[in-house]
Amino acid sequence: MFTLGEFMKHLIKLKINEKNYEFRIEPNILLLDLIREQAGLTGTKRGCDTGECGACTVLINGVPVNSCLVLAIETDGKEITTIEGLSNNGKIYSIQEAFVEEGAVQCGFCTPGMILSSKALLDNNPNPTEEEIKKAIAGNLCRCTGYSKIIKAIMSAARKMRGE
Amino acid sequence: MDTYSKVGKSIKRIDIYEKVFGTAKYVDDIKIEGLLYGKIKRSSYSHARIIHIDTSRAEKLKGVIAVVAGKEFAENFDDPLFGNPLSDQPFLASKKVRYIGEPIAVVAAVSQEIAEEAIELIKVDYEQITPSINIKDSLRNETTLIHENLNNYKCLPGFHPINKSNICHHISIENGNTEQGFQESDLVFEDVFTHQSTQHVPIECHGAIAQFNPNGNIQLWTSDQAPYGVRKLIADALKMPESKVRITNATYVGGGFGGKLNLSGLMAIIPIAWKIRYRPVKILLNREEEFIGVTRRHGSIVKLKTGVKNDGTILSRSAEVLLDTGAYADLGPTVLIKAAFGCIGPYKVPNIKVDASCVYTNKSIASAYRGYGVPQVCWAYESQMDIIANKLGIDPLEIRLKNIVEEGYITPTEKQKVHAVGLGECLTKVSEKLSRKKIDKNIKNKKRGFGIACSYKTSKTPSGASAFIKLNFDGGVDIFVSSVEIGQGLNTVLAQIAAEELTTPFDNIRVLSADTEITPFFPATTASRSTFFAGNAVRMAAKDIVEQLFKLASEILNIKKEALALKNGAIFNKDSFDKKITITDLLEQTYPGGNSILGRGTYYHYKEGNIPSHIKLESPPLLVWMYGAQSVEVEVDTETGRITILQVLAASDVGKSINPISCEGQTEGGVLQAIGNTLYEELIYDEKGKIMNTSLLDYKIPSALDMPEINSILVENPHKEGPYGAKGLGETVVLPTAAAIGNALYDAIGVRIKDLPITPDKILRALKEKKK
Repeated sequence: MFTLGEFMKHLIKLKINEKNYEFRIEPNILLLDLIREQAGLTGTKRGCDTGECGACTVLINGVPVNSCLVLAIETDGKEITTIEGLSNNGKIYSIQEAFVEEGAVQCGFCTPGMILSSKALLDNNPNPTEEEIKKAIAGNLCRCTGYSKIIKAIMSAARKMRGE
Repeated sequence: MDTYSKVGKSIKRIDIYEKVFGTAKYVDDIKIEGLLYGKIKRSSYSHARIIHIDTSRAEKLKGVIAVVAGKEFAENFDDPLFGNPLSDQPFLASKKVRYIGEPIAVVAAVSQEIAEEAIELIKVDYEQITPSINIKDSLRNETTLIHENLNNYKCLPGFHPINKSNICHHISIENGNTEQGFQESDLVFEDVFTHQSTQHVPIECHGAIAQFNPNGNIQLWTSDQAPYGVRKLIADALKMPESKVRITNATYVGGGFGGKLNLSGLMAIIPIAWKIRYRPVKILLNREEEFIGVTRRHGSIVKLKTGVKNDGTILSRSAEVLLDTGAYADLGPTVLIKAAFGCIGPYKVPNIKVDASCVYTNKSIASAYRGYGVPQVCWAYESQMDIIANKLGIDPLEIRLKNIVEEGYITPTEKQKVHAVGLGECLTKVSEKLSRKKIDKNIKNKKRGFGIACSYKTSKTPSGASAFIKLNFDGGVDIFVSSVEIGQGLNTVLAQIAAEELTTPFDNIRVLSADTEITPFFPATTASRSTFFAGNAVRMAAKDIVEQLFKLASEILNIKKEALALKNGAIFNKDSFDKKITITDLLEQTYPGGNSILGRGTYYHYKEGNIPSHIKLESPPLLVWMYGAQSVEVEVDTETGRITILQVLAASDVGKSINPISCEGQTEGGVLQAIGNTLYEELIYDEKGKIMNTSLLDYKIPSALDMPEINSILVENPHKEGPYGAKGLGETVVLPTAAAIGNALYDAIGVRIKDLPITPDKILRALKEKKK
């Protein structure tokens, strides 16, 4: 016999970082909690729980979202990308590498979300202006760096990805 | 030119790969078997007696393991109060509450959701007392006492809480004769400047895990800036030996800025960990609690009276400083020290008088925040400096250069010699090098202005640090220190220092995160002190290793120790270069079965007049003086009152930049944080003491869209005792920004704002006033 709690659980199937996952979840669980607590991917950070800081940014089918505002159940059948999914077999991803080269990291807590927002931007706009970069990361708050080196890193990653 | 191979180079941060790959661990990433989740029940009133707390319904909720209220814990531990220098704060309020958000009970449950549900079931009966919200009322009103009997609290010597008042520390300083100074002055200026209260807003909220152990020890895993400081706070309050409290830093801290200094916002974890002994419990604050339940920057009122000669020479200055410290002292009294001793500014003033008070109010607690009281007074004295310059018709740079302190000058407040004063250079460079942006002549309602300001701050002395270095058999190096990597790049700096001394590749170095059971003493990662103090300790530990290696090599190579040198990981005869052995070969030949070499370093920096009599120093100690100046270009829209920062040039005297790109990064981030603190950040309290803006939507911090061009200049005036001459930077970069912006605003439109933040409505109001 199912207890009420189990009865209320839903089966969802989704891809996280190109791997197939199945979770039996309660309908009110947030994507952030699913990623951190059930998938064990702690690179996605919790900063405010209200979609204001951007630390929990992940990509759903390539679109950046605050995972603290998304119900996990809505991601059934979708593809999620987290910071752990960017590098392939330990090979550093171009944007990560640019953040390293430009020194665009301090405490590091906003970094995963910042990199994912940058990826979404560059996937759609390989040649962004500085203003477009600022807009793309406006939802990712950073209290340490003053953004300058982050913007430089995104510019530099874009150049590299364009083969310049 | 120096010949360092690692120091002074923009080496990539040691933690950067972990951070860009998302594997860097913060407190919320720690998983412990059997972990419970804690949630704090907070006070709904700013001043009230607790009549009764009913936790029975919460206790019955399925999944709740325990609930603890203040009384039970207080009775068991003989009314424990924590706080340093003044122990005035309970872990949980049991008799009365003093601010909205004060912890009164804690729930531990099997999940966060259940813990949150449970605290709603706790019923508290209060009897309200008239609160004292406004600092001036609090200062005058002796009927509403926030702490009835200040004399009963344990207090460090040198601190002066005034009994039967709301003043938890008072400072008066006098030097020369200010009255006579004012009489001899050609002009006397008197202005009042206020600074609002702001919040640190680290992107990572406060969090900790605590566990009582059957052997009587307590362990905490924390996100904090001062593991040894937190340990002392807990141990002192519970009257137990410090060594029985173990604080393990959760590897990385997601931003500190002073807010995670002593974990006072999370002390409620101790009662619940005690109650559920011996299971571990985690409390992670949410963003709202981050605003109401942890410390903030002091709001302040600074009254400044300055007498000058017509040529701009300052003759006399008196200052009254009021800091609104909220419901508990926390570090307010020591913040007051920095504000009081720093309020004269980096100027030669023969006659000074300071009267400073740290005042309780029924508001959330104010404590350390990047700058430690100096941003408040710098806003005052640097704004007034331009008022004076303007009245006398003297150039703002010139009047500053005329009055700034010079090497060897003994300051009237600290009565200590200034040293390594790169202030003139900072001021000159920011004034020269900021090239104004091109103006679009078609826009009529936009005016541009230029402003400068400068400041100084001392680091903390006396203060010290110890470090161990373990040199492994393969040449790898592990550094053990208790200063904390909070984003500032400290671990990289320490690794550079060790790599420099041991002439080993940077990749060979690891820096352990602080753990009071493993890493040696460091008081606190504050006061921009880590590079100076921990840096010196690491350098000494590395030199200790080199000394030991020379001893071993001298036997194997059969050469006198004194004739040996170390380069690129090999020891050789420095005169003839004929004999050589690598460190790894040396260890292998000395310890065939393997071994490590342990280096020790202890550095202590005294303060003149404060040196134990048996300590003999080669030369008198020199305080760690940090200087900086900034210039700002602003554009003001006279129709909307909107102020746009076009560019900032920030120069800081860092003594010696160990990692220039890190210094640059800290400057850019610090200046932007200061811009937020100047233009829009403000904790807004209602008349009952409730903070009205407790989300990042309502309390705006700068986003990428708010970022002006910020450039940094690193001035290097080596400090005699700094590692390679280095001193701190983290705070210098936030000090002059507000005044520089205020001065630029005046330059642009001729109005002077004296209360922060400088908002569009204040600008429009001031413009209206001016027209009259």
